[in-house]
Amino acid sequence: MLIQLEAVTRTYKTPAGEFQALRGVDLEIARGAFVAIVGKSGSGKSTLLNMVGGIDRPTSGAVRVGGAAIERLGEDELARWRGRHVGLVFQFFQLLPTLTVIENVMLPMDFSGTVTPTARRARAFSLLDRVGVADQADKLPSSLSGGQQQRVAIARALANEPPVILADEPTGNLDSSTADEVLALFRSLTREGVTVVIATHERDIARVVDRVVSVVDGVVAR
Amino acid sequence: MTGPWRKVLRDFRSEGTRTWLVVAAITLGIAAFSAVLSSYAILQRELNQGYLATNPASATIRVDGIDDELLRAVGSVPGVGVVEARRMVAGRIKAGPAQWRGLLLFVVKDYADIRVSTLVREEGAWPPGPGEILIERDAFQVARTRIGETVTVKMPKGDFKTLRVTGRVHDVGQAQARMENVVYGYITLETLAALGEEPTLDQLKILVADGPLDRARIESVAAAVKQTVIARGRTVRRVEIPEPGKHPHADLMGMLLLAISTFGLLVLALSGVLVVNLLTALMAAQVRQIGMMKAIGGTRRQIASIYLGQALLLGVAAVVPAIPLGMIGARALCGYLAVFLNFDITSFAVPVWVYGLVALVGLAAPLLAALRPVLRGTRITVAEALADHGVADSRFGADALDRRLAGVGGLSRPVLLAVRNSFRRRTRLALTLFTLSVAGTFFLCALNVRASMMNTIAHLFAPKRFDLSVNLGTMYPMADVQRALAGAPGVKGVEGWIVTEGSLVRAPEAAAPAANASLHDAGAGFGLHGAASATAAPPARFAVLGVQPGTELLKLEIDEGRDLRADDVDALVVNSAFLEKYPAARVGSTVTLQMGPAQAPWRVVGLSHEAFSPPVAYVSRAYFERAGGREGMTNSLRIALARSEPEAIDRFRDALDRGLESAGIRALSTTSTAESRYGFDQHMVMIYVFLVVMSLIIGGVGGLGLMTTMSLNVLERRREMGVLRAIGASSRAVGLIVVAEALAIGLMSFTIAAVIAGPLSRGLGDFVAAALFQTDLSFEFDLNGLWIWLVASLLLSLAASLLPAWHAARTSVREALSFE
Repeated sequence: MLIQLEAVTRTYKTPAGEFQALRGVDLEIARGAFVAIVGKSGSGKSTLLNMVGGIDRPTSGAVRVGGAAIERLGEDELARWRGRHVGLVFQFFQLLPTLTVIENVMLPMDFSGTVTPTARRARAFSLLDRVGVADQADKLPSSLSGGQQQRVAIARALANEPPVILADEPTGNLDSSTADEVLALFRSLTREGVTVVIATHERDIARVVDRVVSVVDGVVAR
Repeated sequence: MTGPWRKVLRDFRSEGTRTWLVVAAITLGIAAFSAVLSSYAILQRELNQGYLATNPASATIRVDGIDDELLRAVGSVPGVGVVEARRMVAGRIKAGPAQWRGLLLFVVKDYADIRVSTLVREEGAWPPGPGEILIERDAFQVARTRIGETVTVKMPKGDFKTLRVTGRVHDVGQAQARMENVVYGYITLETLAALGEEPTLDQLKILVADGPLDRARIESVAAAVKQTVIARGRTVRRVEIPEPGKHPHADLMGMLLLAISTFGLLVLALSGVLVVNLLTALMAAQVRQIGMMKAIGGTRRQIASIYLGQALLLGVAAVVPAIPLGMIGARALCGYLAVFLNFDITSFAVPVWVYGLVALVGLAAPLLAALRPVLRGTRITVAEALADHGVADSRFGADALDRRLAGVGGLSRPVLLAVRNSFRRRTRLALTLFTLSVAGTFFLCALNVRASMMNTIAHLFAPKRFDLSVNLGTMYPMADVQRALAGAPGVKGVEGWIVTEGSLVRAPEAAAPAANASLHDAGAGFGLHGAASATAAPPARFAVLGVQPGTELLKLEIDEGRDLRADDVDALVVNSAFLEKYPAARVGSTVTLQMGPAQAPWRVVGLSHEAFSPPVAYVSRAYFERAGGREGMTNSLRIALARSEPEAIDRFRDALDRGLESAGIRALSTTSTAESRYGFDQHMVMIYVFLVVMSLIIGGVGGLGLMTTMSLNVLERRREMGVLRAIGASSRAVGLIVVAEALAIGLMSFTIAAVIAGPLSRGLGDFVAAALFQTDLSFEFDLNGLWIWLVASLLLSLAASLLPAWHAARTSVREALSFE
């Protein structure tokens, strides 16, 4: 199994008292799977995604992704690990506005130092080509449409060839036909062995993905 | 407390660090402003009070051999309230192993009855007994002696004599002894006689009875006194009427205070810039809250008053610590200036209006700065406000500059990101750059003004290839001089010049007062406060230097025309001050000079460039040989030595004195070129230190400004920081991007300062030099300043970005990107 969660809990301290976002989650996801995590707002699906992406650490329990024990890594080790092993895609794309499209894609390579500096541009360009926006390479994000920006975000997530892509509401801000294109792009990635996990509200996601994990009040519904 | 005020207080607190940074900057600004304002009030009062308490003479009239009969006659001239006879003689003094220093001896007939230009007795004997000398309090440091010790004194007509230092006095009317590098001593007539000088007095100091501050009145009384003196067959050599009731250095102090207050206002304005930045950011972040308040019925006026209340609070928080800080600053500044101007401050009390004005300005400045951002921020409609996502400027790329920046490559992505980020908030960047650039410009100007002054002084002294000037007073055969010099080894070159005074016949009305009573030989030293000290009786005279044909010891810097040639007889070279005063004496013209009873036409052949110098005319001594039968005679020596360190010069002087004495020559004074230079350097150091301190304070405000800016930038880009972390940036990388952005701003400000500083420091230098010394400067750009400021601005940027960078690095991804 690529991703393994064992008895994971996550408790937040809020001014209104403690809030249990996850209460003992067990989950296994195989390599190359396309998984959707669904649930209402506040159900804990984003917290679950954060656990897998090494964005947040469990209060108790164990998280293994590709053999790494997430709960034992420090903030900076986690950042380095994330850079190489996980690609993140966000609802509002979150491209850096002052960098051009291709520079946005090269940035993770800069941080992780995975690709030799001279090869970075070529690799970024081929990634942009793969998601279909190579012609926008030298523009600033603000001049791209939402769908184009999300494709760039996916290219950026793929920069360091991570085994896992995590996407939080990747289609939440797109019209339905663009959303379908993005989901198709994810599907094509899984065929190359990349594991894709998305958190989503979409009702009919089941027809696109391999597996739907439903989260209700901090536990995975069976 | 009403709801809106509660919001003001809570917002103030929740902005935390940034608020305090801005408060600190405003505090600095108000403190500087109040220090200056208080100093102004204190100094104006104390300087003139202290000076007036000494009953300064309304006029000083130089008459040879004053006796009791003349004093009585002058005393009965209508309008003369008090008249006293004094004497002032220049000589040399030496304490123990210390070097010879210039000595200005003041001779008072009756110490028990000083009524004009009084002295304040501070310690020790009063009056000085025979063989005793009192020394001015600041001059002890120049003489390097103490009460109870003995000093060696050499007067022009006397031998080496030993006097005992028995007391300390304070002479408010004299410039600071250290600055002038001269010792002020006070002796009796009896002691003067023992020193080998004629025991006579030659200064009539008069105090006008009614209207002692009325210049016209003083002039008419002085004229009447002059008539009385002339009627008794005496010669009036000079009439000096200082500005009534005004300390001789009051103008200088006025200049200093003007400069400091300009600077105080500048610092205040710059701290206002920080308020603009803070409130602009605050208003942007509060768009939704403003919309909500409007939705529930708040008017624009009510809402604006909430945010203006916040600005007012900034002012209050700053004024409270700024006033005591300003008072401390005022004390330090007054203390410094009081020593420099040689007077005591009896009270540091500050008038109430100063507190009032400081409080008013301190509260109004942040309000004024906040007005525009608040009015703009509160203009938004409810619909616009509620549609705002609060996402900080996603519009990068909207204008040509953004697109041009996007085209800049060649740097690593994190650096590119930092550089481009710095351009995202244009107004904020501009304001931050403004404060930082002002600091840099000031600093570079300080160094440039200093370099220019050094350069100017170097130019002034470069023509003087001699180490000593010996003023013989009267003519001696050069052969005797050569014999005297035989016993003093180490002479590299010696020339006998003829120095005299001249005036221009039918000269245009000379507006400026003549050169002050210089302490030194006219050829070697120049007072620095010429315009402030004296008004001479017309016609104005100037020094005429008859140099040796083909002189090796004077190589003038010629601006126009040529230097004197060995075969010149009726050729004249004038200096810059001469031409300024007598515009008719331009190169190529012919002027008529009166020297003694003789008048002769001269061709002006050259213009010599000399800053800081009174009018001087250079001629060949050949004229005096031909016209006046002065062949082989001299009254002024210029000597170049093989070794010119102070000890060698002192040793040579001793040997020279002995040699001259055995040859029957009595030198009036011996001045070393290095001594003349010392006074200039002291004045320059003061100006330089002042400018550097100013730039450091402005640099402090600039640093606080940059810190605020970086802190706001980080705050607004928390989400982006989170994205960076999410795609693999370590804390270090995120922190470094913030630091790099600050460094980029620092570098930009450095570039702006470097470009502006050139022309600005040229203007500033000329302004300062013209205001203080009535001269212009030989401009020089101090290239070292560029390196120093480059390093300083990078360090400042680094320091200003550390805290924000740490905050940015500490932000966890989850906090920054709350998904739900």
